Amino acid sequence: MQIACRNLHYTYPEADFPVFRNLNWSIEGPGFFSLFGLSGTGKSTLARLISGELSPVKGHIDIQNAGRVLYAHNTERIPGWDTVGTHLRSVTQATKTSLLTNILKDYGIAAYMKSRFSGLSMGQKNRINLARYLVQEFDLLIADEVLANVDEPTRNQIIERLKTLFPQKTFLYISHNALEVARFSRTIHVLSHESTAGTNRIHKIDGLDQEEGTEAPEELVQERVYAILRSAAGNSEPRL
Amino acid sequence: MKTLKRLFQFISIYATALGLLWGAKIIYGFSDYLIPPPLEVLQVASQNGLHYVKAVLNTLAVAIAGHIVAIILATAVGLVGRLNTWPGNLTRTAAYNLQAYPIVAVAPIIFLFLGDGLASRLLIAAMICYFPLLLSFIGIFAKPVEEVEHFFRITGRINWRLELSIRTFENLDKITTVIVGSGTMALVGTIIAEFLAATNGIGYIIRKALYQSNLAKILIALFLIGLCSSLYLSFIETIGRWIKMRLYGTRSSPYKHI
Repeated sequence: MQIACRNLHYTYPEADFPVFRNLNWSIEGPGFFSLFGLSGTGKSTLARLISGELSPVKGHIDIQNAGRVLYAHNTERIPGWDTVGTHLRSVTQATKTSLLTNILKDYGIAAYMKSRFSGLSMGQKNRINLARYLVQEFDLLIADEVLANVDEPTRNQIIERLKTLFPQKTFLYISHNALEVARFSRTIHVLSHESTAGTNRIHKIDGLDQEEGTEAPEELVQERVYAILRSAAGNSEPRL
Repeated sequence: MKTLKRLFQFISIYATALGLLWGAKIIYGFSDYLIPPPLEVLQVASQNGLHYVKAVLNTLAVAIAGHIVAIILATAVGLVGRLNTWPGNLTRTAAYNLQAYPIVAVAPIIFLFLGDGLASRLLIAAMICYFPLLLSFIGIFAKPVEEVEHFFRITGRINWRLELSIRTFENLDKITTVIVGSGTMALVGTIIAEFLAATNGIGYIIRKALYQSNLAKILIALFLIGLCSSLYLSFIETIGRWIKMRLYGTRSSPYKHI
């Protein structure tokens, strides 16, 4: 699976400044990749462009060997007329039922199947939303801060489990947590702060690709975190 | 409980207005001919009460029928108006332009063509509450609920029925409020129609009382209109709450077999 952006330009209608200006960037899956950047650098916009929700103003995005691209974000809700369990069962194909059961157990949300989505905590909502995407057919899942409200130990477990369960899939994980992306990603793609000119470069930093049952050395994690933050700040000294 | 609250609110406002009226009568020394004393109002109520109750129920029945017609029509046209195709654009443009015109102004034409019977009252009641309903329905049906719809759209499950179910469910409170508001307008429309030219209903009785300069009769009629209107609006609100409770309790979902 390969995604390649060629001379990508994007400006939101009625916006004064472009989000992307002549951007060239690519990733090659499968694996767990991250998009990192300060707020407003265009992470979610890039995700929406890749998933086809937005169309580039100029340039193009080539996606090869990827049948289905899904884009999940953390403000999603399930319909209020269903319980969580009814909804999850209704959007899961029969062949994925056992996968759903495992995910619900692994993610610690099996107990909430009779609950209404509106009655859950933000962290529980995040996990349920991610679970329903994982039981869909997909080749690339863009996960835009989907675990933003989940506590750190649970989040780490979820990512490790996800990498074990789906070794042949590609994940593009959008996060503001440098430690997390440094530890778990194969590559971290950092969108640098480019003021009003629009982002035109994405730096690639090798991540530690930590798998389930392993532990990346702490000094390497710190080194990567520093590199990520430095890159995000446009190669100036990051404020730690 | 809410019905009682609404009734209490109406009775309080009505009693305050009567108090002010009689207060003004005492202070400024208005004649009994202009502002009847409480005893006269009670006498008129006992003499004409039953007749007025029948008339107000007649008006209410026409208003409810007109309201139902308007809701059905606004839903059907709203479904077309939400589309991004030319019929949708045309419907939206027509609705926005036509709603600016005061429908009551065309009431005389309706009476000319349809006479002073039921059809005219029904049509005027329906027309008066139709456009506010239509504009609200178009707005609700056309506006995506992105946080809920996104998953269904990106996984290819979305269809027009599911889209409508989501938008209706998410806006149920707004829809109930609009329907309650338009219920008042339907009642107003019916009374105006009766006041203008019809030969039935409480509006017709008010018109006759006006010609006789009989404020006591008008006060009784207003009391009954307020009472019926409060009960009808409470009934609609109760239905709205019941539907919401049913939907929150249901185990069926409209996208199960997609």
